[in-house]
Parts: sequence; structure tokens; C-alpha cells
Amino acid sequence: MTFEPNILSFCCNWCSYAGADLAGVSRFQYPPNIRIIRVMCSGRIEPAFILEALKNGADGVLVTGCHIGDCHYIEGNKNAEIRINNTKKALEKLGLDKRLRLEWVSASEGARFAEVVRDFTEEIKKLGQNPVKEVKINE
Amino acid sequence: MRRVSKTSPRSSIYNSNVYGLETKDVWMCLTCGLCPQECPQQVDFLSFVRQEREGKNYEEIAHKGVFSEMADLMSKLNGSGIAAAEKSEDSKYAYFPGCVDFMGLFLHDVGVDFGEIGASSLKLLNHAGINPKILPLKCCGHDVLWQGKKEVFDRLARYNTRIINNSGIETLILSCAECYRTFAKDYDLKPKVVHISEYLKGMGMNLNSTVTYHDPCRLGRHMGIYDAPREALIKNGVKLREMPHNRENALCCGVSSFLNCNEQTKAMRVLRLDEASATGAGTMVTTCTKCLAHFNCLKNEKEAAKKYDLEIVDLTVYLARQLEAK
Repeated sequence: MTFEPNILSFCCNWCSYAGADLAGVSRFQYPPNIRIIRVMCSGRIEPAFILEALKNGADGVLVTGCHIGDCHYIEGNKNAEIRINNTKKALEKLGLDKRLRLEWVSASEGARFAEVVRDFTEEIKKLGQNPVKEVKINE
Repeated sequence: MRRVSKTSPRSSIYNSNVYGLETKDVWMCLTCGLCPQECPQQVDFLSFVRQEREGKNYEEIAHKGVFSEMADLMSKLNGSGIAAAEKSEDSKYAYFPGCVDFMGLFLHDVGVDFGEIGASSLKLLNHAGINPKILPLKCCGHDVLWQGKKEVFDRLARYNTRIINNSGIETLILSCAECYRTFAKDYDLKPKVVHISEYLKGMGMNLNSTVTYHDPCRLGRHMGIYDAPREALIKNGVKLREMPHNRENALCCGVSSFLNCNEQTKAMRVLRLDEASATGAGTMVTTCTKCLAHFNCLKNEKEAAKKYDLEIVDLTVYLARQLEAK
């Protein structure tokens, strides 16, 4: 059986979720490995959410938001950029940094959303399973 | 804590054990160790709190529990720990900086360079003639232990104990008060565990500055170390001005193990910083990363009710900066 990753995706309500919606309406094909959680803004996403997802066995976490300058809340995504990049640096020390990606997708970019998901899924498939799952609890 | 809220150790023991109520009392405790010290019956309140918290899930951890999630994630991975072994010298000493890198990354808006603590500690140790190994340890598990996540702590402790006992070192040096408490009291380790302040007395500096010293609860009341950091300052020519509450009676920063970052504990931090600025010393030195983070957080608040003209630094950072300036 080929490895099918479980990817968690956070989409902001105003741009990326609409972008994902457009991808669906326009029937752009993308892999069915992602599970979308809608949040009001990418700035809402706490580093703790990402860590919890990885801890509980998500193979990848994709965070998407509006392009810089287009945020519905003016600068929520700038905040998100700092936070996600810092989380990435922290994950680097654990060797998990490639499993987290931050992308900007606007509401009109359905094709781009599909493209991002396809690309990220490919990357995670190459990386393989989240190492958390392989560890036996009572080593 | 009783200065600012209605909680009391007696009521929390009664509520949870005698009446069997589900209250937040047990979680309100700062575990600063002031009540067991004053208790005429010598009730071990800290152990009670820790046991009572075990296995329960408390949602209101500061920063959405990002540090406990990190520790949990770390404990589930096979890989090596956080402090990468850059130098693998053959030494009897080992040094572990703790989670300073993560503090720097997740608390980026506090305005403290936490990574400097690790770098400064190494600089000072080298100056004192010690070339420590850096062991690839995981988080010491202090926070998860006090947050009641015993199984996570056990996983971390198993890993760390194995690494430390197999490394062949004789002394483990720590710069963080919480790591020091955890490795010294909650682990079963072969090597001796020493706080870095013990090594900083003979730096041979003759500084001419005035500071005040804040006793972190983990180093002071939990471990009984009051003199070593003071001597490290005084022997290097620093004039020390004590705050009204010092040593055993030191006020707490209020956020040990990232529980209770709320308005009550903020009031405690305000009290403490008021005392510190009243001493007239321009600098407050401490040895705990949590104290450092939370006092700086209050100081650098955007819409602050009060402005403090006070520099709050870690002991190692303070000394290393002076060493460099010389």
C-alpha cells in the first residue's frame, strides 16, 4: 500500500478558504490528503496548534493566509509570518521543519491553491511518515 | 499569592480532599514554596499540589501551552535533544542551557535575547577554566511535571537520565533555576548537579556598579541557594542593594511552569518591580528564565500603566557583558 499522508491545513476565512472554495467550484484537481480547518485569520494560529497537530500524528501542516498587505484585519498575516517562521526554526531543532509550510493564497487563486496542495503533498510523500508514529510509547 | 487573591493552601486542601470539590484552587498555586516554609505543622504543600494535579488536564496554560506541547512532541521523538552537540570535548563537566532557544522563538515580543544566556554561560565557564561538554538532552520536563503531565515527564526523564548517566561526566552545570531544581530533585542522576552561580565567584573582575538581586523560587526556596549568586556578584565588585523582601521571603514572579499568567500574578509582578525600582539600583539580576521573561514582559508592555526605568538581566548575561566590556 502506498503511503497516503494526513495533512492538516489552516485556511483563513477571507482569502485562502475562498481560494480553496474556488478550486473546488472550478474543479481543479488536488490530492485528497488535506483536511481543512477554517480560521478567521492566519494570525489566529498559535504555534501550539501546529505542535499539537504534529504531536498527534499529522504528517504535515499547511498554513495559508492572505497575501501580505491584503489581510482583512490589516496586519494579521504579518503577525502570522513571524510566528510561523519562529515555529519553523523551533521545529528545525527536532528535524520536523519541512513538515510545516506557510503559503499566501488569495480568494481568486483557486488554481494556485490546488498547485500548493499538490506540491506540499508530494513533498510530504517523499519525507514519509511522521516520526512520532513510529516511536513506541514504552521504549 | 494571598496578597492578591482569595486562595489559601488550607482551603485548597479542604476543597479537594475533604469536600471533593472540583475547584481551580490547586491550579492557582504558584508552587513558589512560601507556605510550606512558614507552615508550623510542616505540611508538604508542594507535593500535595503536584500529586493533586497529576493526570488532570488544565486548559488555561499561558501561551496556549506551547512549551508543554513542545516538550510533549520532543518526548515522542526518537531523535536527539535540543542542544546540539557542537563541542564533544572530553570533559568531566557538562553544561545544558535548557530551552532558551525556544523561549527566544516563542516569546519573540518580550524583548529579551534568551539565546544570550547560553552563550554567556559558556563564555564565563571558559573564563573560569572549565570546558564543558554540551549534551544532547531534551527538555528537563519541569513545566510538564508541575502541569500534571506525569507521563510526558517520565518519557523525558528516561531519555535524559540515560544520556547523562552514560556520558561519563562528573558534574552537570545548569544556568536555569528550573532545570537545576528538576535535575537535582526529580531525577536520579549519578553526576553531581550544580548551578552555574557556584562557579562565578572567582571571575577576577572589579566592577563598579549597583544592582539588586531577585531570588527565583526554584533556586531559593526550593533548593536553598541564596548566597552563591550574591557572592558571584559581590566578589566581582558589584554593590548589592537588597529589596525589602529578599532571600526566604522573596516575592514570586508568579508564572512558574507557565500556569497563571493573569491579572492577579501581574499585580505581584508590579509589586516586585516597585520594590526593585525603589532600591535605586538600575539593574535587577535574576537567575531564572521565567522570572526574566515575565518581568521583562511587564516592563515592555505597550500601554503600560507604569514605566519602569530598570534593566532586568540574567546573572550570566550581566557578568559576561561586563567581561566583554573590560
